[in-house]
Amino acid sequence: MTAPGPAPRAKTTPEGMNALLLRVAGDADRDAFNALFLFFAPRIKSYLMKIGAAADLADDLAQEAMLRVWRRAKLFDPAKASASTWIFTIARNLRIDAARRAAKPDLDPNEPALLPDHEPEPDQLIDRSSRDEKIRAAFSALPPAQYEVVKLHFIDDLAHSEIAERLSLPLGTVKSRLRLAFEKIRKELGDCVE
Amino acid sequence: MTALSEIRHHPKPLTLAAYAAGNLDEARAVVIATHVSLCAACRLAARDYESIGAACLEAVDPVAMNASALDSFWARAGKQERAMAPASAIAANDFALDAAHPLASYLKDGLDAIEWRPVAPGLAQVVIPAEGYRPGVLRLLKVSPGVQIPRHTHGDEELTLILRGSYTDEVGDFARGDLADLDGEVLHAPLAVGDEPCICLIATSAPLRFRTIFGRLVQPFIGL
Ligand SMILES: [Zn+2]
Repeated sequence: MTAPGPAPRAKTTPEGMNALLLRVAGDADRDAFNALFLFFAPRIKSYLMKIGAAADLADDLAQEAMLRVWRRAKLFDPAKASASTWIFTIARNLRIDAARRAAKPDLDPNEPALLPDHEPEPDQLIDRSSRDEKIRAAFSALPPAQYEVVKLHFIDDLAHSEIAERLSLPLGTVKSRLRLAFEKIRKELGDCVE
Repeated sequence: MTALSEIRHHPKPLTLAAYAAGNLDEARAVVIATHVSLCAACRLAARDYESIGAACLEAVDPVAMNASALDSFWARAGKQERAMAPASAIAANDFALDAAHPLASYLKDGLDAIEWRPVAPGLAQVVIPAEGYRPGVLRLLKVSPGVQIPRHTHGDEELTLILRGSYTDEVGDFARGDLADLDGEVLHAPLAVGDEPCICLIATSAPLRFRTIFGRLVQPFIGL
């Protein structure tokens, strides 16, 4: 069996993650993949357990997500998304599929995927890595109350009303915290989207 | 770019964020995915929200994988072919409904093969099955030119994407690619204008029943 790759912690910059995934894409580099696996699989497992998957199933689904990363690595294009964002979308789509299958066990396998992968050509020349680095930094710098609602929305899969219930807050407060958080992050990007 | 670069009405930031989080019901996700496939500005914004999701995922407390996980991963990976060629690009400039289009798999034979169900003079609809694990309803509405929908509010948040034709109401003028992301309390009476029927893709969300969703999720997960 392949030895574990280099310590992933040093590689968790968008650039570092991109470099690992490009090694997987180009050379089917198993050491690079193992480093991605050691970093992302336990986080994807945690992410899947947040919606109620039991530990063993979450383990299995996290492996399935990483299998999609391995098999589709050649489709990865750092101009469209950083590695971390690309892996997040794979995990998110797998979580939706799993939840959907759980709700409708007799689902027709030909039914369309809930969230189609949208991978059009890049519209502008954007340095996705530096953009994502700014997003990460701005996210980490959010005030705790805003950081918390963003995480509950993206990781715990809670809708606005569910966050309000979880935190015993008015719905309007939850929405304004999310809005403020996103405005702050967008401000760091230095452009005006919407 | 095409005329669709003139899209004037977009989803609200919170709607786009919920889409990127994977938190919308399926009906609304299909509407947003279709708009995003047509709108460069929202494509960029959606990708930004996905990057926020990635930052959240990186910040999650990890749960250790089973000791044998990496070994069993490579045993599984050995049996699978790796994808070789890049996926074909989505035609983002029209509702041609090519195979890669978000709506194509829901409308197998395209917009022109739909069997419309008359609702009222000049008004027809068809309900599209799009039942995810969060309840929501997806439908197409066809409004003949000159026909006005009676004044109404949406008790619920509603998403309307114009696929063909155009309409005008108190909020503004809506044409192909425009998306109305209206609050429940907005009162409006859309009037179809122009030469061709206005065809809209509409998602309404049913009340959330998240306790039930968790219950329904956990049970089959265990038996999977
Ligand atoms: Zn848009």
